[in-house]
Amino acid sequence: MNTQPTLLSSLKEHLQLARELRHLEIQFYPQKCKGVWQCYNVCPVGCWTPDYARRKVIFHDPEKCIACGACVLQCPEDAIELK
Amino acid sequence: MATVFMKWLETSPKNYDRGINILTLGRIGRVKERISNSYVHPGMHVLEIGCGTGTLTTMMAAKGATVTGIDASPAMLSEAEKKVTQQKLEERVNLKYMDATLIGERFAQASFDLVVSTLVFSELPPDEQRYVLQACKKLLAPGGRLLIADEVVPSQALAKLAFYLVRLPLVLVTWLLTRTSTAVLRDFEASLRQAGFHTYRAASYLGNSLVLYESHLTQGIPPEVLAGERQAELPAGVVGRLEHQVTLRTLLLDLWLLFFRIIPPYPKIRPGLYALGNPDTRSPVLVTGNFDLTVRRLVQAIDSRLDAWVLVADSAGINVWCAAGGGYFTAEKVIAALKASNLEQVVKHHALILPQLCANGVDGWRIRQETGWGVHWGPARAVDIPAYLAGRRKKTDEMRWVRFPLKDRLEMVTVTLGFYGLLILLPVFLFWRPMFWPVAFSLLGLSYFYAVVHPWLPGRDGLYKSIPLTIVALAGLFVYIALGNSLPTGQLFHWIVGLTGLSVFTAAELQGMSPLMRGEQANWGWEALIGLSLGAIYWLIPLITGWR
Repeated sequence: MNTQPTLLSSLKEHLQLARELRHLEIQFYPQKCKGVWQCYNVCPVGCWTPDYARRKVIFHDPEKCIACGACVLQCPEDAIELK
Repeated sequence: MATVFMKWLETSPKNYDRGINILTLGRIGRVKERISNSYVHPGMHVLEIGCGTGTLTTMMAAKGATVTGIDASPAMLSEAEKKVTQQKLEERVNLKYMDATLIGERFAQASFDLVVSTLVFSELPPDEQRYVLQACKKLLAPGGRLLIADEVVPSQALAKLAFYLVRLPLVLVTWLLTRTSTAVLRDFEASLRQAGFHTYRAASYLGNSLVLYESHLTQGIPPEVLAGERQAELPAGVVGRLEHQVTLRTLLLDLWLLFFRIIPPYPKIRPGLYALGNPDTRSPVLVTGNFDLTVRRLVQAIDSRLDAWVLVADSAGINVWCAAGGGYFTAEKVIAALKASNLEQVVKHHALILPQLCANGVDGWRIRQETGWGVHWGPARAVDIPAYLAGRRKKTDEMRWVRFPLKDRLEMVTVTLGFYGLLILLPVFLFWRPMFWPVAFSLLGLSYFYAVVHPWLPGRDGLYKSIPLTIVALAGLFVYIALGNSLPTGQLFHWIVGLTGLSVFTAAELQGMSPLMRGEQANWGWEALIGLSLGAIYWLIPLITGWR
């Protein structure tokens, strides 16, 4: 049965996941943003800043991102992706 | 004895606050928060007997009540006056120099909605206690309440023993540091009943040794109180009550979790709806995962500060952030816990407060659509929940952002060492015994040093941070030699290779325990490569140079 994961294959998979995580980047589509600000509300590191005047959000500090994915999941407009 | 202590107190009002805080292990602050948060409303007339330095007086006035504070110590009152002026509460606070026994004569009948007294009755002789309680009865308006918080001797034998074991050294330390002490009450509940009050324990702290008694004049509770009245019995569908307590079990569990937190099976608690304090139909609902430590830390952070319902969802015994990231804590789990509980009947609102850090795995919109309940993302840390709720669910950036303070860094280093320490030190102990202590000390020293200096080491990636750490470690080695200690060349070589290896490993691995990590496991390849190169150097150089 070669469907059973071996120690080496799980380790490889784990490393692959970690590598992907490391290179994931936020893709933000401002035209879809309707100013719900859930991303700002849930981001634990402060990447997002609300733009109250234009009812949008600004992806202000990309270098702080830890790729946790909270903003992607909570955005009701699908305006954020993690790729 | 109490009078002697009181003499000291009069001369040292500033020490008093500190002393009381030590003596009650900080719980007196919680009692005061509880009183001002749960019982004080704008427009109320409140009498505080023994206002001391005015901590509670100003808290209640800030809530919008008109507060009269009396105290028998001019020094205390002048401290209180300073606090009132500082907070610009002069209009709502009236401070009077007066003994407690005089309140019946100096104030009009039925002129207060609330009479409050903390740590005063224990200082009064029994006759005066009775006299003052009778006066309180006269002063309370219809529907008014008397709140008395004081230190009491627990009634159960075992609790009594624990009480004295803890209290005696505490009294000594407090006395030495601040020249402050307090007396304790005995059978006070009976005294309140004798005085004609309907009394119950609204909250108790420190193993029932610090109690908040809530007393009413009439058994029939007025309608406006009834709406938010506490339920002594838990409603159907509630699993149980959560309470912050320290037992042998929690101590052993904490010790185990400090070192071996990452090793399964994880201690968990039964999912379901729990009561925290005395929640009612309007109390907030806090959602969390079922890792034992998560629930206990949540309870510790808010117990006796506020009343709430806690909905524990199944997160496979993992903390909420990791469980949400790993797919163990999802919207479905929260919905399942909500449906399985009797929450619809237990509370009259439809608001769930979720920990912000599970937003990476729990789809808030899905919960809203499936259940009709509103989802509010609470603060990142449980300790901020009282402030978050007091501010009507307004979250500041401070509450939103994850930090990695020294205390957490030290804790996480210990957690990491529990696992990796064993992984490294056990083989060394078994196969390379002479090197055990040097390796153990180097590993521990490097790890805790790294934990302390972590924020100041350049770079975000652990592998980069390992470079300055290695430099510091090797510098330490050379300082050791420069101080006149000689090491044979061969041994120096061992130390250089060993310290470099441990530094790289420590920095790279510990960074993975940081909440700000990002795919640190990708470094394993590099770590292995560095390890192999160091191994090669270790094996080749002596071969070439002919050391050993």
